[in-house]
Amino acid sequence: MDVLERLKKDWKKQSNFPKVTKDDIHALLHKTSSSIVKWIFILSLIEFGFWTIIGFFIKDNEAQQRFNAYEMEHITTPLIVVGYIILAYFFILFYNNYRKISAADSVKILMQKILVTRKTVKHYVIFNLVFLYISIFVGLWIEITKNPEVKIVVAQSNENGNLFIFYGTIAIITIVIMVVSTALLLGFYYLVYGFLLKRLKQNYKELHSISSLENQD
Amino acid sequence: MKSTQEQEFVTLVETHQNLIHKICRLYTKSSAEHKDLFQEITIQLWKAYPKFRGEAKFSTWMYRVGINTAISLYRKSKHRIQSLSFDDVAFKIPQDEAYNDTEDQQLTAIYKAVKQLNDIDKALIFLYLENKTYKDISETMGISEVNARVRMNRLKKKLKQQLNP
Repeated sequence: MDVLERLKKDWKKQSNFPKVTKDDIHALLHKTSSSIVKWIFILSLIEFGFWTIIGFFIKDNEAQQRFNAYEMEHITTPLIVVGYIILAYFFILFYNNYRKISAADSVKILMQKILVTRKTVKHYVIFNLVFLYISIFVGLWIEITKNPEVKIVVAQSNENGNLFIFYGTIAIITIVIMVVSTALLLGFYYLVYGFLLKRLKQNYKELHSISSLENQD
Repeated sequence: MKSTQEQEFVTLVETHQNLIHKICRLYTKSSAEHKDLFQEITIQLWKAYPKFRGEAKFSTWMYRVGINTAISLYRKSKHRIQSLSFDDVAFKIPQDEAYNDTEDQQLTAIYKAVKQLNDIDKALIFLYLENKTYKDISETMGISEVNARVRMNRLKKKLKQQLNP
């Protein structure tokens, strides 16, 4: 007899499972889900909150107040507004992705939707990094051209013929900060999402490989 | 006060609970995991229930949600596995060793081989064992009927070779 036919015969007889009562099921309905999708959504919200809090935190600090005195609002305000519009856009995307996911979809569609959700988070991280880089460059440019103390240092460096060293040092420090912050952020995301989605990605790959079976046989 | 919808749902789950147990049996390795997955499938079924319009049979719809939960949504909790708490008698599931009493060694070997397959192949085997047509299998999995058939034939061959080398 075929291996699976043998198994099928036995499979149907399975009845030795302990009975779960209606009361047990009622209780289960009020327990919390720990699904991957829920975790991705929670993480997205934490990230969203984190970047928003950072934004507010920066807003009132001493450096920001000094920055405001340079009267460069025509550059900083549009930057902040664009930043918040894009944040709101991502928030809507996160919510829509989460809402669209249904456990009643086919296995392949569900996996695709979860991976789309993950991709949105990835885009959000890239946006935050790019926005961070732009902010660093704009901030640096304003400091160098508007800060009286920096202007004096630039003038002195120019007189001593050290201007190249001055700009070189700033460039190196900026690059180091950018590289370290990027590595930390990407490392964190890789660990968190890598752990969450490892099994799902393997399964998706496996299912995808089945789709090419026709051509092989 | 439980809503009518909740009572209706609970009755349906109670009636078809063996289906969830069978999925749990294929995808878990301990009683604690079985309990966790049973809970997660029930929660996912309940979350999706408002969209269940009765176009398909409740059991057919359950297959889809159950398999999806086992393959894509369920996150194994290491903490739970390490700290087994057998407080709930209802979930003390007999594992493969317990089946030895009633099954011969060959059957045990088949179960063992099936449990070692990857998540997707397990789902295909599960649907096949549940007597689903290739059309149902293809719709549940989101692959073509031909591909489902080809994969099943390969799986049969693979299991046969593995069990009768």
